[in-house]
Amino acid sequence: MRTLFTPSRAALLIFFVAAALLPFFVDPRGHLLRVAAMVLLFAAMAQSWNIVGGLANQISLGHAGFFGLGAYTSTLLFLKLGISPWIGMFAGAVVAGGAAVLLSIPTFRLKGHYFALATLAFAEVLRVIANSWADFTGGPVGLSIPFMGSQPAYFAFRAVSSYYWVILGLLAAVCLAFHLLASGALGYRLRAVRENENAAEVAGVNTFRVKLIASVISAALTAICGTVFAQFTFFFDPDSIFSLAGLSVRMAMIAIVGGLGTLGGPILGALFLIPLEETANAFLSSKAAGLSQFVFGVILIAAILIQPRGLMAWWPKPRRRRAEASRPAVAAPAAKGA
Amino acid sequence: MLQALIDGILLGGVYGVIATGLSLVFGVLGVVNFAHAEFLMLGMYVAWFAWRWLGLDPLLGSVLSFVIVFAVGYVVQRTLIERVLKAPPAAQVFLTVGLLIAIENAALMVFGSEFRSVSVPYQVQGYRLGDIFIGAPYLYAFAAAVILAAALWLFLERSWTGRAIRAVAQDAMAATLVGVDTKRTYGLAFGLGVALTAFGGAVILPYITVSPTVGGQFVVLMFTVVVLGGLGSVAGALAGGIMVGVVQSMSTLIFPIQLQNLCLFVIFIAVLALRPQGLIKGA
Amino acid sequence: MTAVLQAEGVSVTFGGLKAVDGVSFTLNAGEIVGLIGPNGAGKTTLFNALVGLQPLTSGAVRLGGETISGLKPHKVAAKGMTKTFQNAALFPDMSVLENVTTAALLRHDLKGARIKAERVLDTLGLGPIADADVQDLTFPQKALVEMARALATEPRVLLLDEVMAALTPSEMDEVMKVIRTLRDEGLALLVVEHHMRAIMALCDRLLAVNFGRLLAQGRPSEVAADPQVIEAYLGHGAAGQEGAHA
Repeated sequence: MRTLFTPSRAALLIFFVAAALLPFFVDPRGHLLRVAAMVLLFAAMAQSWNIVGGLANQISLGHAGFFGLGAYTSTLLFLKLGISPWIGMFAGAVVAGGAAVLLSIPTFRLKGHYFALATLAFAEVLRVIANSWADFTGGPVGLSIPFMGSQPAYFAFRAVSSYYWVILGLLAAVCLAFHLLASGALGYRLRAVRENENAAEVAGVNTFRVKLIASVISAALTAICGTVFAQFTFFFDPDSIFSLAGLSVRMAMIAIVGGLGTLGGPILGALFLIPLEETANAFLSSKAAGLSQFVFGVILIAAILIQPRGLMAWWPKPRRRRAEASRPAVAAPAAKGA
Repeated sequence: MLQALIDGILLGGVYGVIATGLSLVFGVLGVVNFAHAEFLMLGMYVAWFAWRWLGLDPLLGSVLSFVIVFAVGYVVQRTLIERVLKAPPAAQVFLTVGLLIAIENAALMVFGSEFRSVSVPYQVQGYRLGDIFIGAPYLYAFAAAVILAAALWLFLERSWTGRAIRAVAQDAMAATLVGVDTKRTYGLAFGLGVALTAFGGAVILPYITVSPTVGGQFVVLMFTVVVLGGLGSVAGALAGGIMVGVVQSMSTLIFPIQLQNLCLFVIFIAVLALRPQGLIKGA
Repeated sequence: MTAVLQAEGVSVTFGGLKAVDGVSFTLNAGEIVGLIGPNGAGKTTLFNALVGLQPLTSGAVRLGGETISGLKPHKVAAKGMTKTFQNAALFPDMSVLENVTTAALLRHDLKGARIKAERVLDTLGLGPIADADVQDLTFPQKALVEMARALATEPRVLLLDEVMAALTPSEMDEVMKVIRTLRDEGLALLVVEHHMRAIMALCDRLLAVNFGRLLAQGRPSEVAADPQVIEAYLGHGAAGQEGAHA
């Protein structure tokens, strides 16, 4: 009998409850809560990346592109037309989804390294455009969101804790999306594509369509994260929002360090990496410029060499199989009778 | 127009040598080295310090860059890259990306963030042929690149080690059977690959300033060249380099300078999509 | 009898090499046809060409009268033809049931696909290992699971590429029994197998190929007695024309 509460699910539930209660126990305006919010936001980004990178095993190095599209779309809609970022957020998701379709057409046949290269170039193209099309994007200076005090309808709050809860909600939504995808029909097909594309085709899986759907969903969710990031930080510029090392790689790295293709991986990875980076920044950045980033690079190398399957590899497996291998929710005996 | 063509060829020859190293590494080890441009940066720094401390012209310092970066590359391959050669692409991609970040920031710590440039007597000189002006630093860098490319060709064709490298690239198992030490050969090939790129970095020092982030300017350029020429093809990389140089310099006639790179990206994605095996069928 | 599969002048060229060269044949419902030929004769390439994994250079493939050449493999599967792979290309990180369910999703929603998959597994006697990891399976189990996965797409035509390669004689008999049952249910089967005993015992007709060409077709005993086929198998020496194919 499969119970509703496997150790993995219980751990997830505890995590979300603890995370929801955190603002009551720490300074609601303090640095700690900001860091915690960043942990959650990066977990959400890594989870969005995980849909393409983990489930379909398409190594994207260009997710900063979708992230930036989200940030730019909502912010420009707000600054130029006064449209609330809540709406702009979904507009950004649509724009990023569209970009994912455009990108999929030339790249869907590419695998491994080639796909990574093409997606890297995609984010770089956007970075170059955002830098040079200054009339529209503000150019290299970037965009600032004016401080408006508390305007919930316009996604503006005074307290960090309000942003924090929004981000937590986003993470929960992204995790739910990942779980539904992974355990649904699309999840089966994605894993089949990941493991043997030819065999999947012959078994009737439309591999192009499956990958396209996954990348559109992944791009849209990443764009939503981008909007939330922009609202939370009030400022961004092309080089930071489309950054290869700062965003594209970091999203992937969090998922990889946590456990590629697993539901808990991005959360574990973010819980481990973001505080580590923050600490490294706080203690090391005064020592020498670049030291904390250097440490970041070294951790990435170490993670790949020590445990390429990530922290989740040490998580007790509910069965002989992987934790997130999406067991049927419907009880097997019922199916037998039919 | 003709001026742009010649500028492009001179630039492109150097791009060719820079990208040849990347292509060689992929051809032999089967690993796409995302950190490759960082070795270009290292090569530039070696040449800069050789100029500053020893008074060496970067064209001569480039030899030092080649040697030192070769040693660094050999060690990096034997200690790190070797361990993911049989791993899935994700592990390879992220190991080299980690290397990229680590090297770039190590440089930032050691060298600081300031831009450094050399001054050499021929920096603003040039040759005039009718309406065409050829900048001396571009011409000399191109000449050095051509010499190195010829030397590389001789090495791969004639020397035992060169032939071992080509043998391993074609069939590592068979090469082992005839007595080639594949692990050592992988190390040598990687060292050679990054050394070629470092050399290319050194010879362009008279017209490009060096900073820890200079690699970032070359990443996509390098990959565009390599993809145009066919990943793994050394001759293709040289031809691809010249094509990219010409495209880049021609595009300045039409587009503002910031959009030059955009042109490259578009070519890059288009080539990847249409002919991932490369436009040029090379050796 | 109606031909469910028709291949007309199917050719596949790699570079200058003709891997499959103008092969024409038909396959009827409720029939097992063996495809024989030495290694490198183009059998697997022909299979790939039939299911759409390998584009044809020329020729056409018709399934139930409808032209399917040029379609992608998943479309071909939807029209009713699929194949197994030479070395059991299962999805290694999935369980047996999940492997088969993925294929059953072609014609069912997730719930229905699971039911379908379990039914197929039961028919092949794989019910007890439904939850096993495919990496832990034995060779014959893998071969059967791959057949199960193919059957879960509910094909009219099934191409089996050396499913019996690593089996013991008794295991082979088991698989042959399964294949015969499938035929009796009306499936059309095209089978590549190296084991001549199995081929002769199983097949209603044989197609013999070499160098991408169809050498002979007909009843197993006729084809086996064909001098060209014997030569292809026993080498040039038998017919005294050494190096003729260089």
